[in-house]
Amino acid sequence: MADYTRRLPVYLLLDCSGSMMGEPIEAVKQGIKALLSELKGNPQALETAYLSVITFDSTARQVTPLTELMQFKEPQISAGGATAMGGALRVLMECAEREVHKSTEGQKGDWRPLVFILTDGCPTDTSAFNQAVQDLRAVKFGNIIACAAGSNADTTYLKQITENVLMMNTLSAGDLAKFFAWVSASIGVSAKACDAAPGENFELPPPPKGFVVVP
Amino acid sequence: MAQNNGRTAEATLADGTKIQYVIKDNPPRGGMKYTYFAPDKSYVVQFYNDPSVTNDINLRKRIEAIIGKYNPTLPEQKGGARGNSETMAQYFAGKFCWPTAIVVQPEFGIVSPAYPSNFFFGENASVIPELNKDMKGKDKKSKWFTSPKLRKYLKESELGDFRSMLQMSISLARSVRRMHQAGLAHSDLSCNNVLIDPPTGGCVVIDIDSLVVPGLYPPEVMGTTGYIAPEVLETTKFPFGDPKRILPSSYTDLHALAVLIYEYLLLRHPLVGPKFYSNDPVEDDFLSMGPKALFIEHPKDHSNRPKDLRVTIKDLGSELESLFLRAFVNGLHSPDDRPTAMEWEKALVRSWDLLHPCENPKCREKWFIMHDISNPVCPFCGTRVKKEDVLRLTLKSQIRGKTGQWIKSGEITVYHNMPLFKWHVYANTFPDEKTDRDLMAYICKQNGQWLLINYNINGMTSPQGNLVPQGKAVLLSNGAVFRMSGDPNGLLVEVSCGK
Repeated sequence: MADYTRRLPVYLLLDCSGSMMGEPIEAVKQGIKALLSELKGNPQALETAYLSVITFDSTARQVTPLTELMQFKEPQISAGGATAMGGALRVLMECAEREVHKSTEGQKGDWRPLVFILTDGCPTDTSAFNQAVQDLRAVKFGNIIACAAGSNADTTYLKQITENVLMMNTLSAGDLAKFFAWVSASIGVSAKACDAAPGENFELPPPPKGFVVVP
Repeated sequence: MAQNNGRTAEATLADGTKIQYVIKDNPPRGGMKYTYFAPDKSYVVQFYNDPSVTNDINLRKRIEAIIGKYNPTLPEQKGGARGNSETMAQYFAGKFCWPTAIVVQPEFGIVSPAYPSNFFFGENASVIPELNKDMKGKDKKSKWFTSPKLRKYLKESELGDFRSMLQMSISLARSVRRMHQAGLAHSDLSCNNVLIDPPTGGCVVIDIDSLVVPGLYPPEVMGTTGYIAPEVLETTKFPFGDPKRILPSSYTDLHALAVLIYEYLLLRHPLVGPKFYSNDPVEDDFLSMGPKALFIEHPKDHSNRPKDLRVTIKDLGSELESLFLRAFVNGLHSPDDRPTAMEWEKALVRSWDLLHPCENPKCREKWFIMHDISNPVCPFCGTRVKKEDVLRLTLKSQIRGKTGQWIKSGEITVYHNMPLFKWHVYANTFPDEKTDRDLMAYICKQNGQWLLINYNINGMTSPQGNLVPQGKAVLLSNGAVFRMSGDPNGLLVEVSCGK
């Protein structure tokens, strides 16, 4: 029988600027590994979730196109350069436009994409950032969750992207691991629940301890 | 936090008992709770994501009732459900993961038994080697076995066959019937909360703490997408507490139960088809599962029917077909019309007696319901059963007070080495939690002849009226009529062949 399952696109936007060099970037790599492992053990996620990774330093690029979990290969990432967060949002919009299936007669479209942004700084491409934030409002995403990691992360910029901003006090491997565990729980919940009336966003699990939700 | 990983902690139960559990970073977390295991993994301690439940008196009262007087896994004399015997309690202990105690320290939580190891994946469940490490130790949520995409990742030895799916359907219907019989509703039956183990046919219902308990304040759960009854989904726009808001109940359980049984038997969702409702996926799903939900096998409206539908409810026999029509046509938007769990249990058990092994060694499902002996074809692979292997026994029971008048009470299609139990012998027994599974007789094919061998029945008589002692057999030839037992409740058997 034809497959009428709806896909859940998930975009991870990862800050790979110079300040992430060393332990943080290694922790991010481990985090992606753990995220994949966790999701592959979750039948709902394995059935519906598709994952893409967009990284940003002095520029932004999609390092892994939207891929079924089983086919997903961990991307090669390294840290260095500035923080082109505006560029990353632009790439996100382009990718979503291209990759997310729209519902039409005869085609089950995808769920609205789930977006996670992890950064330890603030955008260095401010004018591109401001423009991207403007344009982002017109695009329908399911949930955008931004996580500001470490003391240098500036939540005011993130607040312009989404209301869901988390703060993590350190960039330690432990905290980053918790972030990725929470991302996987959120994807799991979204993949199974989406128990919302039309227009509402997914209800996400509460963030792990050690995180502060920026009001 | 990392230094706490693997540390053993102590929880205090409501009765003052202290138990241990192992703290883990990033414990398994669901929508409501997260879970820590006992040092020996024999039980789990679960805490709520929202720690303010500590002050939720309604939740506490509900869980106290669930653990105590509504508990079907505990005999009555040990504080369990009324009328529950030791045997019944033992039976249901294997069918539910029922909470056993309330935790009061370090915060409010519950203790539940860990489910048996066959409900966790082992090291070698997948055909994809790198998936094995991710699946190992994960619980066998129904979804793994009903999603065509996920089935492809599993080894054939994990998948079971049509018979094991039917077996688990019976078990689930029985568990739901038991809850409903006590006035309880599960409120969130879904592919996540029913674990199944196809190789053994085992089925266990979990997440028992959000039951709806008679007379107590209901839990604030909605259910899981795909299993939420249309009327519940439709009224989520009203706030909790608004009388217009329809909350989970036994009626909504009956929708979820029918969806699960349909998924087990046919490996697809009954409402997910090609019909287009809206450009907006959220709206589309809301309409397709809620106000505009339409059965993909609706007999008249074919707008949601997949083009390539092969095996349908017609292939399951008229009894299951009519229940599915009631659940997904008449009852879809009219909760009163949904078949009860008891009706499902009975119809599934009766269908079990019509199972026939497919002769095609490559048939994926291995078994099918041979409901039409004039056209005995496996619907899964198209293999026709040889004429000499088509034999039906019609079971009849004596109408009370009217000697010599008989009424049809069941049917069996025979196969080699088919076991027969008390309910195939006596009119007043039903295969439920009260009845033993001792072998009474069996059917086998020997030298081209079908025989029914008396194993443990007193007073079986042959078609000629002679006593058939234990260890002896009745020849099953077309037109033969005999008594399973001379007991007043003993059933009459009529033998007929296919044409």
